Amino acid sequence: MSPTTEFLDKLASAAVDEGLTDVTYEYMSSPIGKLLVATTEQGVCRVAFQQEEPTGVLEELAGGIGGRVVRSATETQPVRDALAAYLEGDPTELSFPVDFSLMHSGFRRTVLEHLRKVNRGHVVTYGELARRAGSPRAARAVGTACATNPVPLIVPCHRVLPSGGGVGNYGGGPEKKVFLLELEGALLA
Amino acid sequence: MPTTALPPFWLLVENHADELLRYARRLSGDDAEDIVQEAFLRGLRSYPNLKHGDHLRAWLFRITTTTAFDHSGNQREVPVAEVRGDAFEHSFDDGGFESIIETLSDANRDALRLRFVEDLAYDDIARKLGCSTAAARRRVSTAIGSLRERLT
Repeated sequence: MSPTTEFLDKLASAAVDEGLTDVTYEYMSSPIGKLLVATTEQGVCRVAFQQEEPTGVLEELAGGIGGRVVRSATETQPVRDALAAYLEGDPTELSFPVDFSLMHSGFRRTVLEHLRKVNRGHVVTYGELARRAGSPRAARAVGTACATNPVPLIVPCHRVLPSGGGVGNYGGGPEKKVFLLELEGALLA
Repeated sequence: MPTTALPPFWLLVENHADELLRYARRLSGDDAEDIVQEAFLRGLRSYPNLKHGDHLRAWLFRITTTTAFDHSGNQREVPVAEVRGDAFEHSFDDGGFESIIETLSDANRDALRLRFVEDLAYDDIARKLGCSTAAARRRVSTAIGSLRERLT
């Protein structure tokens, strides 16, 4: 007598209707693998690649935002639909509100806010992003900010490249970074 | 006493919905799904007030028990405010579980508390009560059987 999908969906929507959730999440499949997408009332708070163990991600959400983490397809639907369209090549910018609750450092958050203004088809170096964030010598800290970005794709850390050439690191794996940059026409195939 | 962080609530749903549904079915038959739905919602309502993540499985069993009683419209025999069992000191606010089990025999009630408050396995319950594992299992089962009778 496993809980049926119907049972789980009914519970999730009752919880959402009553405002009993801190975070809602759902998985989606995509050309770059399975993704976990999490949202709060403030916006998207987490996008995780399949390399990240889901239980660990959910625990991070519970610890950093609140324990009432509920799996809901409907609450996460708009974000998942937009991500799916984007990953199929739709040129619309991903302009959702972001909830940076998981990002505690003010500087890293500033970096990500500046990074968000780097549009599709453009790239920026770590050093340049440091300059825009007001700390030109903090390229390394910018690297950390990108590496700990809770919302990859939506805050486009794949558009940050090392000044010495190559695509550099990427949390989801460098091949995903190449895929995304090619998708956006920022890198010659 | 070491405590654990509150886990993401949905992991509790995924890990325990099955056994809670079986338990609710045993208590209340066909209303099991409604009862467990409501029990999880009650759990979500009080989740932000919990201080730690210990014994949450037992906590869910208690909430399911009290929800089954409320669902049946059965009057509780002891007002919640008057009940202060020892075991209850360390437990969460779960809507008067102690008042529901008040009428059980001492032996059965102690066994059920060890199961649904302390979250012990049957051999640990047996050790605490100084009886065999089979006897511990039987006491819990008899206790649940008595609750069931009051619900029907």
